[in-house]
Amino acid sequence: MLKKELILRNPLRQLGFETEDILPAGAIGAVLSHAGVGKTALLVQLALNGMLRSRNVLHISLNDPVNKVNLWYNELFHHLAGRYEGAQINSLWESVLPHRFIMTFRVESFTVPKLEERLSDLTEQGIFSPVMMIIDGLHFDESRRSDLNDLKALAAKNGIHIWFTVRTHRHESSGSDGLPVSFSAVAGLFDLVLELQPEHADVHIKLLRGSGSTPVGSPLLLDPSTMLIKDKEL
Amino acid sequence: MSSTVEKVRNIGISAHIDSGKTTLTERILFYTKRIHAIHDVKGKDGVGATMDSMELEKERGITIASAATFCEWQGHEINIIDTPGHVDFTIEVERSLRVLDGAVLVLCSVGGVQSQSITVDMQMKRYKVPCIAFINKCDRSGADPARVIAQLHSKLGHNAVAMQMPIGLEADFRGVIDLLSMKAFYFEGENGEQVRSDEIPAELLAAARSKREEMIDAASLFSDELTEAILEESSIPDALIIDAVRKGTLLRKFTPVFLGSAYKNKGVQPLLDAVNQYLPCPADVENTALDLDHEEALVYLLPDSSLPIVALAFKLEDGTYGQLTYVRVYQGTLAKGAVIVNTRTGKKTKVGRVVRMHADQMEDIEAAAAGYIAALFGIECASGDTFVSPGLNLTMTSMFVPKPVISLAIFPKDNKSQINMSKALNRFTKEDPTFRTHVDDETNETIIEGMGELHLEIYVERMKREYGTDVDTGKPRVAYRETITQRAEFNYTHKKQTGGSGQYGRVAGYMEPITEGDEDFIFDNQVRGGSIPTQYIAACEKGFLQCLAKGPKMEFPVTGVKIVINDGASHAVDSSDMAFQAAARGAFREGYAKARSVIHEPIMKVVVETPTEFQGGVMGLLNQRRGMIVGAQDEGPMTVVEAQVPLGEMFGFSTVLRSSTQGKAQFTMEFALYRQIPQSIAEKIAEEFALRKKSAA
Repeated sequence: MLKKELILRNPLRQLGFETEDILPAGAIGAVLSHAGVGKTALLVQLALNGMLRSRNVLHISLNDPVNKVNLWYNELFHHLAGRYEGAQINSLWESVLPHRFIMTFRVESFTVPKLEERLSDLTEQGIFSPVMMIIDGLHFDESRRSDLNDLKALAAKNGIHIWFTVRTHRHESSGSDGLPVSFSAVAGLFDLVLELQPEHADVHIKLLRGSGSTPVGSPLLLDPSTMLIKDKEL
Repeated sequence: MSSTVEKVRNIGISAHIDSGKTTLTERILFYTKRIHAIHDVKGKDGVGATMDSMELEKERGITIASAATFCEWQGHEINIIDTPGHVDFTIEVERSLRVLDGAVLVLCSVGGVQSQSITVDMQMKRYKVPCIAFINKCDRSGADPARVIAQLHSKLGHNAVAMQMPIGLEADFRGVIDLLSMKAFYFEGENGEQVRSDEIPAELLAAARSKREEMIDAASLFSDELTEAILEESSIPDALIIDAVRKGTLLRKFTPVFLGSAYKNKGVQPLLDAVNQYLPCPADVENTALDLDHEEALVYLLPDSSLPIVALAFKLEDGTYGQLTYVRVYQGTLAKGAVIVNTRTGKKTKVGRVVRMHADQMEDIEAAAAGYIAALFGIECASGDTFVSPGLNLTMTSMFVPKPVISLAIFPKDNKSQINMSKALNRFTKEDPTFRTHVDDETNETIIEGMGELHLEIYVERMKREYGTDVDTGKPRVAYRETITQRAEFNYTHKKQTGGSGQYGRVAGYMEPITEGDEDFIFDNQVRGGSIPTQYIAACEKGFLQCLAKGPKMEFPVTGVKIVINDGASHAVDSSDMAFQAAARGAFREGYAKARSVIHEPIMKVVVETPTEFQGGVMGLLNQRRGMIVGAQDEGPMTVVEAQVPLGEMFGFSTVLRSSTQGKAQFTMEFALYRQIPQSIAEKIAEEFALRKKSAA
């Protein structure tokens, strides 16, 4: 069955974490890279993996409108399911769509209380209860510490885990831990930090900080042409 | 009429509901001296704007049918079609865009890019219509043109570039700064008819310079000369910039943006200048037709008045003097007395009167040359027909026509109403291909079909007013469909050989769901060796088609089915077309019973714009209606919620939405896709079907 095959094919399993979700409920993780390297693509794939396993995903974008975010999901899903028949893919896509909810905010007006209110609107009416949240486009520095603390509390309260995208800049220097200096100020709040590093024609997915066992097997790559996660051997 | 086609502009004004299109057109007609007084759309003087000629339009404050008019500005002839914004009238916008060369996309400076703007933009893309944008209502509280320009980028993917800057906003909106001439423009006089140019206010000069640089930079992508001039830091002539912007606009890679407030009489005259400068003339647009004598080979049409005529009928209206047919002439000259041929029917006609339209008033002309829009009297045709000179056999590509998604039974209250209702329906269906009517075989009810509740509501109202027909309406019915989900074989023999002339036919093969493409039905004849004689193959197909019209499950149309016939048998005496049609019908029923059929329902894309405080409630309403919410977009004080909701759950939604949001939210709805219904709904429909059958019996 297509759904099962897509889940089994998921190379994220090789990141070697104890649970399929990588992050447990209440935990927060970050994906770091320069602009355009593939942070959103990676998180969308994590989301798709969750949706295929009937987990509800709340995707929050501070950059893009609903249609554009939808396009990401559409494109990546169809790449993932590429070699299967059109009707099968469409039918599966229709069945996993209800597991995703997209919310967009303007960067300047995004606040945690606002997010909490929106989330309550959904959960209290039984409309949508996410287990995974993606927050794409939040800017990070020391001033965000209290927001991150609040978001962590929100995650714990609602049994959600949250992924963030963190844009780093070429001109920024890294600290001794390999993390950009501006991010270091809040890095301690994160349970897991992945970094996307372009190296020649590939984009490597590197674990900078994380709990759980050491990843088994070869490092993971992002294929720049499709933005899909792939095994190094492929 | 203008003698050179270079100075002609055929434009449409398209946008979301209530963006101010009709007011804008009214102002355009006034400034071009086409009319001599301005009337507000919902005016206290009870007259209403010139373009909203139907009573219903004036009363509701919405534009229903498209109206055409022309005017002149700075030596150019501009033909304008005012188009409705409601999604229920999309066919009017589709038709207009098919025949126009350019468009003005009107946006509200507060609402910005709204759901119908997105639909209209898609329509413009489909017909490759270049456009300029006009951000209207800059005098309104909350006006934010910069935000609207950003939305043009993010929501519509336009390379939108400001050609002006506002001088003040909201109540303080006083004029505009033209970034080309670097002058400020103020609109004075009782109706803003006097345009005064002045120096740019000192406090806005730096910003204006910066914006001008951005504009020139964006335009330079379309002109090497302009790029050179920038690099050489030499002074840049206006003509060079205009030329570059025009090139970009015609390629649909640049959208010049203008500002104003039509209601406050500001910014309209510069918009007219922009129409002349940046939108295409008929010669700039490539138009093609299909040559039916050469296997539909593509033929390029030239806007040359001396060539044979090629014209497209895009709108029909039944007036006091008979049918009025609006045409766009793509080639040749459509003159009084000319002989033209309708390619679809083959019928020859001599052209009687040729008129030029101004909303609901007419002006007789001698001829309409290539590139122009005119109207003809006394021509029997359907919307979308092509007219050519004798000797040509060309057809313009058919216009895309969406299928109806909702139907409703109507019952005339008395005999007189019955007669008038027939007349009304006959006229409306000829004018609007998305509005259809038929009589239900079983119940004998007259059924009307359309694109939405409002669409049908308006026609019922028009029947009452224009034909004095009082009708009652039944509950709206959703256009469900049946389809199959697995392959099934059939092998059916139709035999009646009990004496006298008999019937015999056997049809064997299989049916399967269509998995790729949008086709409703594919018939594949794989019969070999004459097991079904060739002359009966068409009868087989006909028999299958008859079954598709009313599915065996619940008599809904059957779609998405591929039927392959690969064997059969015939009788030398008893086989006939009738026999094989019957055999095919039997074969269909046999296969269908094994093919795991399911019911599909139309799913609508519903977009609700609501004040953020009501967002939760709106999502609840959609959720209660089996809606799947795709997303919620924060737009400052407003939130836009997009959902997919079954059409069957949407009836009465507007009333509920209004009461839940203090009337502050609005929504649009358009067909998205067909999807399988849940089991519980399938059971409910089956019950209703059984009840209907019982009462009909």
